[in-house]
Amino acid sequence: MENGSAAQGEGRDPSGFLSEIIGQGVTVKLNSGVVYKGELQSVDGYMNIALEKTEEHVNGVKKRSYGDAFVRGNNVMYISAD
Amino acid sequence: MADIDDGTSAPASEPLDLVRLCLDEVVFVKLRGDRELKGRLHAYDSHCNLVLGDVEETVYVVDEDDEDEEAVKTISKKSEMLFVRGDSVVLISPQSPS
Amino acid sequence: MSFFGFDATLPRDRGHNTSAPGFAQPADPFARPHDGDDDDALDFEDTYDGLGDQLDETDDVFNDDTFGATETAASSKPAVGKDFDFFGQTAKVSNAINEEAARFTRQQPVRTAPVPSYTQPRPARTGYERYKEPEYVPELQADANLWGTAPKRPAGLPDSPATPSAPASGRKMMSLEEVEAAMRAQKKQAQPAFQGQQPVTTQPQVNPQYASAPSVQQYQNYPQQPFPGAPTAAPREDLRQAPNGPASQPVYILQRPQAPPSQPNIPTGPAQPNQILQNQNRHTSEQHRHGPSHHGHRQHGSRQHAPIITHPQQLANLSEEDRAAFLLEDAKRAKRNHKIFLLSKDNGLMTPQDKNFITRIQLQQLVTATGNPNEHGTDSALSEDFYYQVHNQIRGGPRQHPGQPLSNFAQTYLFQTGGRHGGMRRQARGGDNHMQRMEQQVQRAVEAAKNKPKNKQLVIEGSLGKISFSNAKTPKPLLNIKRVESGSDVHRPGSAARAASDRKAQKASLNGGDRRTVLSAIESVYSTLMKMEDHDRKMPPPLTDDIDPELTGRHMDWRAENQRLNDQLWQQLKVHEPIGATHTHPFIAFLSYSKGKKAIPRVFRHIDHQQRTTILTMIVVHLDQLDVVRNAQLLSGETHLNAGIRENVELFSLAVMPSLFAYLSEAGLDIVTGVLGLILGINVDVVARTRIGVSMLTMILSRAELIKQAGGVNQQEWEQWVSTYNGLFDALEGTLPTIFPGTVNTGEDVYVWQFLAAIGIGASPEQQQRLVMAVKDRVMETVGLAKTLPPAMSSQRLANVNLFMRSIGLDVELLA
Repeated sequence: MENGSAAQGEGRDPSGFLSEIIGQGVTVKLNSGVVYKGELQSVDGYMNIALEKTEEHVNGVKKRSYGDAFVRGNNVMYISAD
Repeated sequence: MADIDDGTSAPASEPLDLVRLCLDEVVFVKLRGDRELKGRLHAYDSHCNLVLGDVEETVYVVDEDDEDEEAVKTISKKSEMLFVRGDSVVLISPQSPS
Repeated sequence: MSFFGFDATLPRDRGHNTSAPGFAQPADPFARPHDGDDDDALDFEDTYDGLGDQLDETDDVFNDDTFGATETAASSKPAVGKDFDFFGQTAKVSNAINEEAARFTRQQPVRTAPVPSYTQPRPARTGYERYKEPEYVPELQADANLWGTAPKRPAGLPDSPATPSAPASGRKMMSLEEVEAAMRAQKKQAQPAFQGQQPVTTQPQVNPQYASAPSVQQYQNYPQQPFPGAPTAAPREDLRQAPNGPASQPVYILQRPQAPPSQPNIPTGPAQPNQILQNQNRHTSEQHRHGPSHHGHRQHGSRQHAPIITHPQQLANLSEEDRAAFLLEDAKRAKRNHKIFLLSKDNGLMTPQDKNFITRIQLQQLVTATGNPNEHGTDSALSEDFYYQVHNQIRGGPRQHPGQPLSNFAQTYLFQTGGRHGGMRRQARGGDNHMQRMEQQVQRAVEAAKNKPKNKQLVIEGSLGKISFSNAKTPKPLLNIKRVESGSDVHRPGSAARAASDRKAQKASLNGGDRRTVLSAIESVYSTLMKMEDHDRKMPPPLTDDIDPELTGRHMDWRAENQRLNDQLWQQLKVHEPIGATHTHPFIAFLSYSKGKKAIPRVFRHIDHQQRTTILTMIVVHLDQLDVVRNAQLLSGETHLNAGIRENVELFSLAVMPSLFAYLSEAGLDIVTGVLGLILGINVDVVARTRIGVSMLTMILSRAELIKQAGGVNQQEWEQWVSTYNGLFDALEGTLPTIFPGTVNTGEDVYVWQFLAAIGIGASPEQQQRLVMAVKDRVMETVGLAKTLPPAMSSQRLANVNLFMRSIGLDVELLA
């Protein structure tokens, strides 16, 4: 919480940013290259991610879709707000 | 509890809550190394160590045949009960993918 | 004390610095304790040059020990000394002068040893004075054995009348050649005094020359012995009378093998244990001297000092051959003794205290060892070498300035060894002190190692916030995500999206069908259930007849908590959500999940009767909405439900129905009637075509029948029941032919026959007639099928049908 409270309002630090984009559509890229697009339900400190209405894209090709998806944080390369 | 037991139960407030909701439900689990599991989630922990029951495991193996075409072969295995070490987990989804 | 009435004490002699630190500080071992009787005109402060503050006089109280001051020295002012330099210039360097003197004496330990203390005012204390003092008897005894004497300390040299050489210190040590020459000269002298020349036999110890340890004093004296006492003539005895008798053999095992084995005619007395390891030469001569006739004396070891002796006369009595042999032997012996002397001249140099000190230094080096392999310069290597340092100091590393104190090494080493004279007390304490210091150092080293962070968790504060590395056991969060408190955050600016999602969640919870909402509710119910089950285990012991306020209080607390949890559970079950407000009632949605179903038995254990009634009512009212009813309708052409639904139905039967049945089996007829009435309000047709619905009806009907058979039924209630029953019968009659699942071949219709039996028992004869008409076809089909089946299965089928047939007074046998 040390760094969160100071800058969170501006969304200037990662935690603040992630808090801001909850509920929005996001693109999550994993280290393996697989991309998940969906609504960001929640993120935690380990960068574990819960997504809604998720589409899985491998090499740009949509492979699957999930209602909900939990992505383990250690696999995450980035999270981008759509 | 207080944030859940109010009338309008809030959406899962952290990602692992989503996994908790999957307890005793059939989940789809994507693992490293092109492996997928489908089974009933009996237990999990914060490392995503999982205990799955009635599991069907699918392994995707890329076969390069003569014409350099990549044919993806799938291998299926069934297990009555499975413990999955958390560090191999990539994704957990409540229902089987459509 | 001073000629001019000055306070002649040197400044450094004043102001005993009691707070002076330990051995690492420059110590002034020469300082005397301040006597405190200087009531002279001059104030101390006037002459004080401040040097005293720099001095460490920690151990000065032991100076008397060191310098051998008399008992009265403590009370009387010590001699002023020869320093009349009132400007204190000499005083400034006097330390250095004395230290140099000490070092000098150390460098010339033997040949130029200073005359004993009484011939010199008082030498600088070197720590080795003791070794020069004539009365000094070293505490280390090991070397004494080399000289063939028992290490008996009481044999103080001054006490011995036979040590004329003792005071004769300062005489030159003789070379081997001189010794030989002297011996040659001796043999010319008369020998008749052979026995008579022996010193008085009351001498408590052997000839001191041999008895003593290798103290400097004695080594100095050693070569002179031949002159006064001619004791070195002993070998002659050996030659003539080597006395080794069998009896004494064991004693000599370790002796030097020089004794000629000849002349067995000399018997030997009993062995004297303290002569083991002794120089054989002297021993044998001693034995010979006394011979068997002196046997009795032999017992008194103390009187047996050995005037080895011999008078030169003895030598004269020998034959030429013998004499030559003796002289040869004598020379050999002297040579060997000299060699031993040279080798052992440093024996006892280190006292236990010294060794202790060195151990400490080594330990220190061990502790502070840097171990940097890059620092291999010769200088640094040397400077870290303790032995080099000590060598450098002792052997006279030049000092640039006379005021420059000796290094700590030298100070400690050279000047902290005294104080033995004062008795064991001092020494023991000194030893303790060293031990304590050593222990402290070890302790410090251990603590330093402990405090050294082993594998401190690396924490980097960067743009990503605090990133800490972690192990598998305790993964550290990478981010500090502020937990979104739903509701409170809605009004925050920039959280429109979240507000939208909240609204969505709100909507979802409104329709009750939102999967995640229901699952969350289920999880919360489970959490509460676990708390309640845990709380049950903490129930205080039952109240006794004795009023125990404390126990009563605990019970009240427990009940209050129980009630709180019950309320929480009840709220989470959402049984009281308004009916019809949502598409699916939350509680029914709850029951549509298998884990929701599984929770029911546990829920029923923790709710009261009223709550159970409510749950039963809720289930019955929504019977047609239950997934196990709604989804369990067999469509035309279907003979089996899909596996998932069948599983759910099975689970409902196993998890929910027994709870309801258990509740209903205690309910009164009014409740049973009420429940049945509720069913009439819903789509009975749908309910009756599912296993769960039929089971529910069976349960209700049979409970009513049981109540009726138990008797004592209120007539009015019974009539109410009958009318409700009739309503049900009428509603069901059209559906009855289709309530059988699948075809007759599937054989899963047991529950239907049970239901028909339950309804048949309560039916009027007219209703029974209609009942038979409705299911007649299925009965006949089953009976017909039974004939084609193996006997076991056949009888099973027929038994199922008979459940119904007998309820209305018939039997399948009649049909056959």
